[in-house]
Amino acid sequence: MITTHRLTKKFGRFLAVDSVDLDIPRGQVVGFLGPNGAGKTTTIRMICGYLRPTAGVVRVDGHDMACSPRRGQQQIGYLPESAPLYSEMRVQEYLTFRARLYGVPRRARREAIGRAVQRCSLGKVVKRPIGQLSKGFRQRVGLAATLVHCPPILILDEPTSGLDPTQIREVRGLIRELAGDHTILLCSHNLAEVELTCDRIIMFSGGRIRAAGSIDQLRASAAGEACYIVECDTDGAQSALAAVPGVDRVERTGRDGTWQRFTVTADNGEQDLREEIARALARTGGSVRELHREAPTLERLFMRIMDDTGGAAT
Amino acid sequence: MRAVTAIAGRELRAYFLSPGGYVIGALYVLVNGWLFVRYVFNSGDPATLRPVFSFSMLAFMLICPAITMRVISEELRLGTIEMLLTAPVRSADIIVGKYLAALGFLVVLLSPTLVFVGALEMYGRPDYGEMLCGYLGVLLAGSVYLASGILASTLTSSQVVAYLTTVFFWIIMLLATKGLLQTDLLPMAWQARVDDLVIATDPELKLRDFAIGLFDSANFVYFGSLTVVLLIASARSLEARRWL
Repeated sequence: MITTHRLTKKFGRFLAVDSVDLDIPRGQVVGFLGPNGAGKTTTIRMICGYLRPTAGVVRVDGHDMACSPRRGQQQIGYLPESAPLYSEMRVQEYLTFRARLYGVPRRARREAIGRAVQRCSLGKVVKRPIGQLSKGFRQRVGLAATLVHCPPILILDEPTSGLDPTQIREVRGLIRELAGDHTILLCSHNLAEVELTCDRIIMFSGGRIRAAGSIDQLRASAAGEACYIVECDTDGAQSALAAVPGVDRVERTGRDGTWQRFTVTADNGEQDLREEIARALARTGGSVRELHREAPTLERLFMRIMDDTGGAAT
Repeated sequence: MRAVTAIAGRELRAYFLSPGGYVIGALYVLVNGWLFVRYVFNSGDPATLRPVFSFSMLAFMLICPAITMRVISEELRLGTIEMLLTAPVRSADIIVGKYLAALGFLVVLLSPTLVFVGALEMYGRPDYGEMLCGYLGVLLAGSVYLASGILASTLTSSQVVAYLTTVFFWIIMLLATKGLLQTDLLPMAWQARVDDLVIATDPELKLRDFAIGLFDSANFVYFGSLTVVLLIASARSLEARRWL
């Protein structure tokens, strides 16, 4: 549905997006994840035809955005960051305006707007001026506006930023609902949001794609190293743990009376060292009150990518 | 075309929902009314709207940039431009839509002066051909001012800068065409040519023809082509934002 080839954007000498290749199939919900300034929004703006790439190609539903941008744009419902709207317009007027802009025929307009209003639960506010609405409602008006021309692709840039927890839950629910019959590109710097709503995650940093894959795939690759938490009361525990084959680092992270707490790291995450660790501790003769392996999390991968590229970006 | 009417419609509504439009309108009508009563509506004076047209020409120089200063600048500031430029519409559609709305607002602004026509009809025998020609001239001149204001508005996200740029440009043009910017830096022979050229671009002279009922196609082409060129430049300038 959306493909890019070596997509690049420079702002003056600053390289914002650096040869990004994407291939997003129909019906998939894809999350762009990355810190602010990672190039997510710039990539999205090029896909939507708001910015022209310095180099590279964007295809939306087969239409080259350099040759026939309007064909591609017709397929996209785009919600820019912070959902800019005309505050003097009423909700209904704004949705009608959007429908006309996208060439929804007059007869189909009322039904299309009705559907968008219903989907985003805007029934109560259709007659209100947008300027009087709360941030949450405005975000939903923005979302409804992306739906009026029934686009197969939805591109949402930070759809939950600045909302309170209840509103965030509502908007996420709405996105999950829409996921069924749309290809969705969701942009966020919030890991939990992307993890909750997306089939596939693409991690951006410094204008490049650093990792991509399904949530399970990324979790598996995050398992590059394994962490074990051990709590025991023997004095020689640290050296005993360090002597276990496969263990690379042992760090004492806490102390509670005679109890000592260790974080044991093994670079090879494939192997489960719990039994080895238990045996080694048993040989020291002390008692153990905790031993567990920390499940690899996306957050760890996310942080590692940010750490790796943090130096390069500055 | 659908996009042009959608944009023009939205834009025109926005004019009537902003207090600024009413302030400008009231001021314009007030001064015009005073001019009419003072210089036209006297027994024995010719039944003509020439003073109203001359004033409109000058007033539009200040009013038109105020009408157009927000058209693109505000969209740039609020970020709504992103919505417009990602919709399947051409930059030219956006510019033409906004231009038509501004022109529509100018017509609305001018419409109270029709009361003067009624008053002249009641107490005299006005020449309708001359008046029609005058209105056409004023609208054509206004259209050039509007198009130049739109161009300035595409260049900055600050309405004030857009307004001042346009007004300064026309004030400098006005001074030049009135011969107030003459210097003795140029050789005599050149100076004469430059003067001719400057005078040829004086919009007020052309409007004077319209106001006395003289429909010269050259004047029509002058205002018309200037408007078109400025609108094309505006569309280009808007399109160039994608290449930043």
